[in-house]
Amino acid sequence: MSELYHKLERIVKKEHISNDLLVRHSYSRNVDLILQGVPDIVIRPKDEIEISEILKVANEENITVIPRGGGDCEFGGSKPINNEGIVLDLKRLNKIIHLDKDNLVVTVEAGISWAKLNDYLCNFGLYTGCMGPGSGMTASIGGGISHHSVGGGGCAKYGACTNQLVSLEVVLPTGEIIQTGSQANKYSQAPFNRFGNGPDLTGLFCGDNGIYGIKTKVSLQVFPKPEFAAYKTFQLPRKERQVSAQIMSEIRHRGIDVYDLMYLMDILVRFEIQENFMPMWDHLKRKRGMIFYTIEANSDQELQVKEKQLDKIMDENKCEYLGSEIADGNIAKWHYTEQGHWQFYHNLWGIFPTMQPLTAECFTPINNYPSILDDIDLWDMQHEEDIQKIFEICQKRSIAGSGPILLIDGNNVEITCGFTSFWSVFDGEVHPEIDEINLKLWKSLLELVTKKGVQWYMMGDVVSRLMVDIGAYGEEFYELMKNIKKTIDPNMILSRGKFNFWGNE
Amino acid sequence: MSELKNLKKQWQAIMSCMNCGDCGYAIRSSVGRYLTCPVKEAKGDQGFEIYFSRGRMNVLKSILEGKIPLSKELAEFAYQCSECGNCTEVCHQSQNEYIILPTSKWIDHVEVWNALRKDLVEAGYAPLDKHRNLIDYMNDETMRNPYGEDESKKFEWLSEFPNIKQKADLAFFGGCTMPLRQVNTLKNMMKILNASDIDLAISKDEWCCGSIALRIGDEESVKNLLERNVAVFKEMGAKSVFTACAGCYRTLKKDYPEILGEPLPFEVKHITEILIDLLNSKNVPFKEEQDEQKVTYHDPCHLGRHMNLYEIPRDVISQIPGVKLTEMKRNRKNAWCCGAGGGVKSQFSDLALDISKDRILEAIETGADILTTSCPFCIGNFIDAYNDLEPELQEKIKVIDLIDFIASKI
Repeated sequence: MSELYHKLERIVKKEHISNDLLVRHSYSRNVDLILQGVPDIVIRPKDEIEISEILKVANEENITVIPRGGGDCEFGGSKPINNEGIVLDLKRLNKIIHLDKDNLVVTVEAGISWAKLNDYLCNFGLYTGCMGPGSGMTASIGGGISHHSVGGGGCAKYGACTNQLVSLEVVLPTGEIIQTGSQANKYSQAPFNRFGNGPDLTGLFCGDNGIYGIKTKVSLQVFPKPEFAAYKTFQLPRKERQVSAQIMSEIRHRGIDVYDLMYLMDILVRFEIQENFMPMWDHLKRKRGMIFYTIEANSDQELQVKEKQLDKIMDENKCEYLGSEIADGNIAKWHYTEQGHWQFYHNLWGIFPTMQPLTAECFTPINNYPSILDDIDLWDMQHEEDIQKIFEICQKRSIAGSGPILLIDGNNVEITCGFTSFWSVFDGEVHPEIDEINLKLWKSLLELVTKKGVQWYMMGDVVSRLMVDIGAYGEEFYELMKNIKKTIDPNMILSRGKFNFWGNE
Repeated sequence: MSELKNLKKQWQAIMSCMNCGDCGYAIRSSVGRYLTCPVKEAKGDQGFEIYFSRGRMNVLKSILEGKIPLSKELAEFAYQCSECGNCTEVCHQSQNEYIILPTSKWIDHVEVWNALRKDLVEAGYAPLDKHRNLIDYMNDETMRNPYGEDESKKFEWLSEFPNIKQKADLAFFGGCTMPLRQVNTLKNMMKILNASDIDLAISKDEWCCGSIALRIGDEESVKNLLERNVAVFKEMGAKSVFTACAGCYRTLKKDYPEILGEPLPFEVKHITEILIDLLNSKNVPFKEEQDEQKVTYHDPCHLGRHMNLYEIPRDVISQIPGVKLTEMKRNRKNAWCCGAGGGVKSQFSDLALDISKDRILEAIETGADILTTSCPFCIGNFIDAYNDLEPELQEKIKVIDLIDFIASKI
C-alpha cells in the first residue's frame, strides 16, 4: 500500500477508499463506448473538509483528481484521461441542507441527484424549473452546474440549470474553500442572489467541466410548480427541419411561454417504428418527424390562451395533431408526466444491441440547426468506407445523426449529435479495429460540428481537447482560460488533461 | 478467455448497458420508483459502484475485453447481490405499453449475473465457503436438502396428515425450507386445505428443487435433482404441482423447462393460486367475527419480478374478512427486496438483515398491523431482522406468512 493511499485513508477512513482492481474498473468508464481510464484510487469523501484535505495531499504527491457526480458524462468527463489518478466519488454529499421557503432558495450538497431534490421539493409544490440533464434520475446537481445542463425538462422556459444558480461552495484545487454569490459577503445570513459583491466568480465554475474547483454546496432558486399543464404532439410536413426551426422561431418571436419543445427527426421516428419501440406510432402512414410542446399555467384560462396560440402556429405550418393520449402517439404527455427519460432522450442509443453513443452536446441558434443536420447527413455518406468496415463485423450500420432538437432559452436549441456505433466486443470476441475507426470518426464528426460554430457545453475528455487540437478557441481566450487554471491550480491537479492543460508533465 | 463461456453468451446484454446509473439512483415518485439496488443502499457510505449494476457491468466489460481476469475477489463482490431483478425493472420501465425502451430487448441483468456466477464456478473461484456447504448438503445422499438435515426429517410432519395421498391430480412439492424451518406453516396450509376438502398427494421421494445451486451458478448439481423430481411427479400422476415456496416455484416453473429444453409434463402453481380458487368458490370457512386489521404485502422477488405474479396474492388478502390491504411505497415491480435471495442470506447474513430491516421499516410506515408475504425465505429473513429491531418498533407491526395469517382466521 502506497504512502499516498495511507495519507488519504487517514482523511476518509478505510471504508471510503479503495484501490481494488475491480472497484477501479467499475469507475473507469462513462457513457461512450471507447474512452476508458482506470484510476489508481477511488475515494468517497463526506464533505468539503475532507475534499480540501484530499486535494492538499494530491498537490503534495502531484497526482490528478477527477471529480465524479452521477457519472453520466457521454464524453469521458468523470473518469481519468489516462490510467491514473484519484476518482473523487461525490455521491456521499447528498443532503438537502435548507429550503428557504420565504425566498424560494434551496441549498443542497452537490452530489445529490436532480431526481432526489425534485422528489423533496414536490412536497412543497415546488420544483427546480429546469429539471437538470436528461439523465437527471442519476445525474448530480454539481455535475449539472459543471456543464450548464439541459434536457431533463423545462429548459425552453427556464434555460440551462445554471440560470437558477444563486451561490456555490467550492473547494479550489489547492484546498481553499470559498463561497460565491451573495455568500461572498460573510455577513449574509442565507443565499439569495448570484450577482454582486464584485465580479461573477460563480460563473467561473459554471460549465467548467470540473477544471476550476469542486462544487460541494449549491444554492438554487426554486419555483412553484404550476397547477395546469398541457402537452401535444404533432407530425411535421415535408421539409421538416426547416419547418420545425420556423415553428421554434415563431414561438420565440411571438413571446409565447413554453415549458418544453422538442423536434424528433424522421430518422428517429422511422427506426423506432421499424424496430417496434413505439407502438403508439404504428398507425402512422408517413414516418415523418415529430414536434411536441409542453406548457404550464396557473389557471385553465391561461393554459387555453397559450394552447390556442401554439396550435395556431402548428396549424399554419401544416403540422398534424396526433391526439391527446399516449396511445394516440402523444409522446409529450409521457415525457412530461414521466419527467423525461434518458433512453428516450437519446433514442438512437440501443436501437440495436450494443449500439451506443459517440456523441456530444451543444447549443446553437435555431436558424443554424437545419444546416448542421444536413451536413451531418453529408458527412455520413462521405465516411461510408470506414462505416462499412464496422458493418462487416457487426452486420448493422452505425448511424450519424442527432437526438431530439430541444428548444432552450433565447433563440437557441440544444443538439445531441454525433455518431452512434458499436462496441469492439462483438459476438463475444474483441475487435480492436472497431475502436480505432470509432474514435477517428467521432473526432471527425465533432470537428465538423465545431466548425459550424456551435457552443459545446458538456465537453469531458474528448471535446475539451478536440477544441484545442483543431484550434477552435481564439488564442487570447484560450490563454486566459489557461492562465486562470495556472493561478488557481498551479500543479494542474484537477481533471488533468482536459482542455489539454497538462501542466509540467 | 476459455473460462468465459457463459459471459460470452451475454455479450450483447453487457455491452448494451449504457451506464446511465438508474440501476443505482433512480427516483421517480410519479410512478412509485424510489431507488433501485438494495445492496447498494444497505452498503450506505461504503457503497462503491461495484455494489450495483452499473459498476458490475463496467467490470464485466473489462473482463470481456480481456483486460482483467475472473478471480476470487470478483466472486466476493458477485455474490453480494440478491438477484432481485430491480435493476432490470428500472432499466426496462417505460411505464407505458405504447413505449418500449431499447434496453428491455437486450438486457436481462439477472441472466448476466447468473452467467457470471456459472463462469466463476466453472473457473473454480466459486462457490464461496458457505455456499459450498449448502451444495454439498444438497448433493449428500443422506440429506438432499441444503440445511444439512437428515432427509427423513423433511417428511416427519406428514404423520399428522394421514389423509394425504400418494397419487392424485394435484401434488404438493414441499421443498426444504418450510418442512425443515417453518413446519407450522405447512401444518397451517394443511389446515386450510383440509377445511376445504382438497385432495392432494405428497411424495417422500422428492429432493431439493436445486434453487440454491442455480442461484449460485452450479447448474450441473441440479440436473440429477431435476430428473428425479420430474420423474417423481410423473409417477404420482400429477396434472398440477404446487408449492408454497417462491424459490421452488420459480425453479420448477421457469428453470426446469429451460434446462430441460421442453415443457414439464405437469403444470406448476404457487400456493396463492390454489388459495384464490378456494376463496373464489367460498371454500374457506372463515370465523364469522373478525377484528379489523390493516395488512401490507411484500412481493417476493421470485414471485413478482421473476414470475410476474403480483395480483393473485393481493386478491387472496383482499378476500380475508376484516382485512384492509395497504400498499408499501415501493410495491409490485418497484418492490424492495427482503435481502435474502441469490445466496446473500447464507453467505452474507448481515447484509441480508440490513436490507430486511429497511423493508420492515417501510412496512411500518404504512401503519399496517401485519406485514405478510408468501415466501418462506422472505419470512425467515424478516423474522431474523424483526428480532433485531428495537421493542418499540416491534410493537408497531407483526410479520407473518400469508398461510399462517389465513389459518388464524379459520
